[in-house]
Amino acid sequence: MATSNIVATKEGFAEIKTAKLSTLGFFMALPPVLVIILFVGLPIFVAFTFSIGYTGGPNRVISIIGQDIFKKDSWWGTASAYTTVFKDPRFIPDLVVTLVVTFLSTFIVLFMAMGMGLYQRIKGGRVASILSMLSLVPLFVPVVIAAYAIAQFYNGVGFMRTFMSQFGIEFPVITATRNAIVIGTVWTSLPFAILMITSGLQSVPNALIETAQDAGASFMRIVRTILIPLAFVPIVIAGTFTAIGIMGSFTVPLFLGPNQPTMLGVEISNFFTAYNRPQQSIVMAFVIFAAASGIAVLYIWANVRSARQSGRI
Amino acid sequence: MKSAVVAVLATFAIGSTVPSAPAASQTIQLLISADTNIQTLWNTVLIPAFEKEYPGYKVNVTFDRNGINDAQTFARIVAAKETRRDPGVDIVDGGISERLAQAKLLWRPSVGLVPNLSDVSKVLVKQGAGRIPYRASTVLLAYNSTKVTKVPKTLNELLAWIKANPGKFTYNVPSGGGSGYSFVQTVVDMNLTDAERKAMVLGQDKTIQLKWAKGLETLRELNKFTYGKNGTYPANNAATLNLLSTGEIDMGTVWSDQFASAKAAGTMPANIKVTAIKSPSLTGGPAWLGIPINGSNRKGGRLLANFVLSPAMQNAIMGGALKGIPIVNLAKLDQALAEGVKDVDVTDMRSPNFPANQDDLKSTWALNVPGK
Repeated sequence: MATSNIVATKEGFAEIKTAKLSTLGFFMALPPVLVIILFVGLPIFVAFTFSIGYTGGPNRVISIIGQDIFKKDSWWGTASAYTTVFKDPRFIPDLVVTLVVTFLSTFIVLFMAMGMGLYQRIKGGRVASILSMLSLVPLFVPVVIAAYAIAQFYNGVGFMRTFMSQFGIEFPVITATRNAIVIGTVWTSLPFAILMITSGLQSVPNALIETAQDAGASFMRIVRTILIPLAFVPIVIAGTFTAIGIMGSFTVPLFLGPNQPTMLGVEISNFFTAYNRPQQSIVMAFVIFAAASGIAVLYIWANVRSARQSGRI
Repeated sequence: MKSAVVAVLATFAIGSTVPSAPAASQTIQLLISADTNIQTLWNTVLIPAFEKEYPGYKVNVTFDRNGINDAQTFARIVAAKETRRDPGVDIVDGGISERLAQAKLLWRPSVGLVPNLSDVSKVLVKQGAGRIPYRASTVLLAYNSTKVTKVPKTLNELLAWIKANPGKFTYNVPSGGGSGYSFVQTVVDMNLTDAERKAMVLGQDKTIQLKWAKGLETLRELNKFTYGKNGTYPANNAATLNLLSTGEIDMGTVWSDQFASAKAAGTMPANIKVTAIKSPSLTGGPAWLGIPINGSNRKGGRLLANFVLSPAMQNAIMGGALKGIPIVNLAKLDQALAEGVKDVDVTDMRSPNFPANQDDLKSTWALNVPGK
């Protein structure tokens, strides 16, 4: 940005000022970037080197304590830890359950949040406001308490079974199943998605919707061609944050899910603590990291696309 | 303006008095790596009594539930030893003391410096290898006395009962709680000789681990007979106790002290009783304290350990909310309370395996049993 042939004109002075501002901006942005590099980037790098077999330096003590540690056997490290994990009969089923639960829950959350947002936007009124307030309650309940409460609600002597037995219906015990994890993760992820999508839909101008209604467009047409495209970025944000959050969840699958296969969050904790195999747990963590990065790419693409459309890029 | 100056001076005055306060008392850093009932024991019974007896000391507690951060704590102590710094821990209560003893990082107690150790059986002190036992606990079989007519006395009878009464027994995931782990180890130990069992307690042995296969097969067969009948198991000790108290199961493995505390607190109905089984019996043993050799206040740790072994505190462990088993010679304790524990021989409990074997068993169980 700083040019070398500076002309002593108004434009020239403006260029110098812009150049000085951008340097100043760089130095102001530097401390937070340094903090992130030091406290987030560096530990990730150290963990990655541990997963490919570098057991010296910061990884020395964990290598002494842990079992089944693979040390590096070539110039770049070793892939043994990765192959061991992928060959472990628990890993692939766990990965499948994690991905299935993530996508199923995200889909259900987005569907319900869109429904809530559209109801609030199109209909409005008192019922919509009350429902919106109620849907924010899970935000204030700690996840441990929520998971335990849901387990108590659906377990063998819980409310559902007791209530249904009054009518002679044998309601199945759904705790310790994959669907119970879906119920739990949907319950905890709903408030954030509803907040994002409702605010995204509210920012669509009334005039557009009314014009479309005057032109005779059906409700689904309005939703498909006006509301969703204009609220696209908030929807993508809600979707990606929900998906990434559910992918790494631990408390809900621990209380509500089966023992095997379970979600990778629980498996990582088991490998690191109970089975004392830290290297394998770090390998699993990087697999989740890779999957979450894939979802993050979606997020970046959506933002770039919307920036291009609005002319910022 | 004047009031602002006064306010500023007052703040400086208050700020400058704070650093001189702690010089009066010494702090002992206690790390508890166990379940919440042990934390309650320390916070409500042992520490207040200790601070009353030794007013110059203050005990600072760090609680690590079920040892979830044991690896990091161990790493911290090892690193502190290498860099000659304060590890921040003067005395530990929990399984981590075993790993410290293996790594020869514990200060070895002697009767001269810990006088009350003379009341503890020499067998236990030797087994400790630097650790100090202060109470005992064992896993027992809890059963619903109104539903269970013939109480199983051996492991084989228990397995037969489970198959005859589907859905009425469970044990928690071994990696989630010691009571479930004890059942799993007992079932695999059924197929090991006495010599092999002893070897598994003393060191990691992958060849003997191969003999676990038969026990794991038995456990896999139990999948359709345990609670839920689908090969899922409760996550931790508390979940098993919960299932027993609501009547969803008629039998389960529980820790003796957690069971007794639940009874005393009224959360376990009166018709649930406990019994011990034989051939082989469920595991149990002492709970150990360890004083790291590089701790900054080893003297304080020593005093605390000695105090906990005194008759008054052993009575409190027996009679208080914990309802634990004391480790010292019963002759010196309250005889009324000792009646309840006189059948228990603390030197003869079947020990859990060596930590590395425990980790392997937890992993192998998860690989071979649930959901199969």
